[in-house]
Amino acid sequence: MMGRDLSFLLPELFLAGTAMLMIVAEMLRAPRLGMTIGLAGLAAATLLTLPVLDAETTVFGGTYRIDTLSGWAKLVLLPGTALALLMVRAEIGGRLREGSVHALIVMVTLGALMLAGAGDMMLVVLGVVLTGLGSFALVAWPRDDAATEAAMKFLIFGAVTGGVMTYGLTFWFGGTGSTLFADLGVLTGRPLILAAGLTALIVGLGYKGALVPFHFWVPDAYQGAPVSIAAYLSVVTKAAAFFALTQALRDLPREAGWPMALGLIAAVTMTFGYLAALVQTNLVRLLAYSSIAQSGYFLLAVVALGASEMALPALVTFAAAYAAMNLGAFAVVLVAGRELPDLEGFGRAHPWIGLSMVAFLLSLTGIPPLFGFFGKLGLFAAAIDAGHLWLAVIGIVNSVLGLGVYLRLVVPMYAAPGRRRAVRVPLPLFAVLAITLAATLGAGIWPGLFLR
Amino acid sequence: MPLLSIATLLPLLAGLALMLLPVRPARIVHGVSIAATGATLLLTLAIRDRGIAPEGFAQLEEAAWIPVIGAAWRLGVDGLSLPLVLLTGLLFFLSAIYSARIGDRPATYVVLMLMLESASLGTFMALDGLLFYVFFEVSLVGMYFMIAGWGHEDRQRAALMFFLYTLLGSLPLLLAIIGLHLASGTFDMRAWIGTPPLGGTAAMLALVAMLFTFAVKTPVFPFHTWLPAAHVQAPTAGSVILAGVMLKFGTYGLVRLPFQMLPDAFAAAAPVVLAFGAFSALYGAFAALAQSDLKKMIAYTSVNHMGYVVIGVAVAALAAEPRIRTIALDGATLQMVSHGLVTGALFFLVGMLQDRAHSRAMGDFGGLLGRVPWLGWAFILSAFASLGLPGLAHFPAEFQIFLATFNARPWGAVALLGIVVTAALYLRAIAIVFLGPERGRGRGMPDLDRRERLVIGVLLVLIVLVGVMPGIVLDVIHRTMSGLAG
Repeated sequence: MMGRDLSFLLPELFLAGTAMLMIVAEMLRAPRLGMTIGLAGLAAATLLTLPVLDAETTVFGGTYRIDTLSGWAKLVLLPGTALALLMVRAEIGGRLREGSVHALIVMVTLGALMLAGAGDMMLVVLGVVLTGLGSFALVAWPRDDAATEAAMKFLIFGAVTGGVMTYGLTFWFGGTGSTLFADLGVLTGRPLILAAGLTALIVGLGYKGALVPFHFWVPDAYQGAPVSIAAYLSVVTKAAAFFALTQALRDLPREAGWPMALGLIAAVTMTFGYLAALVQTNLVRLLAYSSIAQSGYFLLAVVALGASEMALPALVTFAAAYAAMNLGAFAVVLVAGRELPDLEGFGRAHPWIGLSMVAFLLSLTGIPPLFGFFGKLGLFAAAIDAGHLWLAVIGIVNSVLGLGVYLRLVVPMYAAPGRRRAVRVPLPLFAVLAITLAATLGAGIWPGLFLR
Repeated sequence: MPLLSIATLLPLLAGLALMLLPVRPARIVHGVSIAATGATLLLTLAIRDRGIAPEGFAQLEEAAWIPVIGAAWRLGVDGLSLPLVLLTGLLFFLSAIYSARIGDRPATYVVLMLMLESASLGTFMALDGLLFYVFFEVSLVGMYFMIAGWGHEDRQRAALMFFLYTLLGSLPLLLAIIGLHLASGTFDMRAWIGTPPLGGTAAMLALVAMLFTFAVKTPVFPFHTWLPAAHVQAPTAGSVILAGVMLKFGTYGLVRLPFQMLPDAFAAAAPVVLAFGAFSALYGAFAALAQSDLKKMIAYTSVNHMGYVVIGVAVAALAAEPRIRTIALDGATLQMVSHGLVTGALFFLVGMLQDRAHSRAMGDFGGLLGRVPWLGWAFILSAFASLGLPGLAHFPAEFQIFLATFNARPWGAVALLGIVVTAALYLRAIAIVFLGPERGRGRGMPDLDRRERLVIGVLLVLIVLVGVMPGIVLDVIHRTMSGLAG
């Protein structure tokens, strides 16, 4: 029994081993070796996921799920982490404690995988803590005032929401006598207990996934952290939160009213995120608010759970699209600079990077035939199929708002004549741009590769 | 040979090839542009040569795309799309010739134009709902960058407004397409036409969404406000493509989607559509009358002419007799083609005038006819065509539309008043700009050169041909429309 369980856990075990080796490499002061180990480990874990992709089972007494969702989640989270490692290398390569950052990132991703496969309340708590602790340290890495303040804010928010979540989940435990999500069905007809646990879950995972009103830490943390860390947090830990939310809510009867509650949060999150992004002049803050808005879109798939077969494919497709285009946009910010004026004439001076940025931004808006369009297509289809047409309508109206946000970056890129500023595109960053662009364009033209 | 796919992809591939060239001198770039659009025009002529089927679609081309959700690369033509495909091929070719003097970032400009051509041809030929939507939206991106990059004084604002407004306009269509897909399990437009999947409230919701989209695109009052700004600020070729090709997405879509796929809901809503069309036609005419900027004036006459198309489609849904329905649809489709030719010519001419005098204000000119007879007579002929003079392209189209309207809903014919107003505004413009003593900025202005005469000459010949022998276009249209109306 134990052996069977462990064989299903090969990707996770491999990743844990990789993280250990990376710490050893850091102790040897060999950051390049550490990164290489990390990339190899992530690649191996990705490959090891493929054989169990179609599995539909659980391990360790139902607490950890090896199913289609967790499998595809790994295929999004692991390559996303690899890209983030490359970005870190390009941004802070050669500086002190670079290797610790690499190792921490892989640790956090391990927590993210746990969230994505969680079949049990305690595993969600554990995943939130594991991703949280590593993330605080990552944000604080620059050790200046801004980063320290950002990490502090991040930590306090995390501690409070984590506490609320743990406390609230005890209601579910009390009601069902079990910590397994699979047992939640017995709560039907006990609305107060259902609501208490649900609220707790939304607080804890809403914080991680940057949903309004638990988003306050996001702009500050992203701005204080290195750009590559902001990119990582905006993609990997966020997507993991929505995978965890999906795992928990799959077993909760829809009559409990959670689809409506989450629908409202989705509407507010999308709208607030884009409205706030409209007035930002710092690119990292702008992308932070944009990523908050995208969190609202993620929820469209969650809301459709149990009512539409398209919910899970839509969630995974959108997560993959979001990972590609958002990492790509952050990578361009890494090249161009953190302020809006840094983009002036950038597209004319550097046509290829400019073109990539346009592709990422239009993909974030949801313009075909880019990957983001097919992500949103699935989300809208799932929401409509589940009977939430109003939510799809709010989603499309917000897409227009989003276009306004993203064109604020595109316009200066081509409006002013290019100031020929030499930019540094180290090899790892070039690889990130090439891969994310290929995914954004390629999966857009041929989404069948992904939508199986 | 899959001519339709080749025609759709050829411009795009030529554009991609251009992007990969290490050095891109203007001459080579424009040469590639003319060659690619010319080859595409020949391909569309070859498609015309193969002809259409008496019923449904002809020259079907299919390839797998996203099998899980039933979306595929499906192309085909019928009597509705084929004339528009030919119009697209022609206008892009002429635009490429006209644009050959653009020296500001010519490669990017040409790549955008070629991308727009692929998107336009794809929009008209797609028989797959998702593919249609993809092409429909890609055209927005191309046009946005075209206006923002090569437009006039206030281009950034106009481009932004164009993109935001038309994206807001097209997204409801996406919801409607998703609705059709959820009800049928496929994106095949032939299946949606064969057995309309939606009924009742769902059909009404989808109809409202589609009507909104196409009203913005066409544009119909009160959703037209993006149009004057976009047209005035766009570069000349951009205006030609926008008016000549992209406005037709709206009316083509109106026939292809709501009329064919939601027939019952559309018939129920047709009186409202007719009212909007009639009001829009009148509004466009009066608004044009109030303009002193030539380009803006022509832009508003587009609102007027496209209003007639909407009237025609609405009447086709309202009329009881198949004969009247056919006449209305014939007229509406022919009107799309005529408008493309005539307004294309007018925008070219205003662009040529602006190139010379750097002004579009009527008051800046006077007595130009003696100075630049080619430009002057070409403008006068196009203006007469635009006001619906018999023997020129708009007459047979508008005649059929009004004939059907009188038969089915006589009150809709109030829009006839628009023709009178259009006549007045064109005569006024001609009198101010071209007649009388020479004054203003016209002094020393050269007449059209050889290339410009070629561009305009082709359009004028076609305007007269369609006016005198409408059968050359109408025969194809009629074959399909008599099937649709029956």
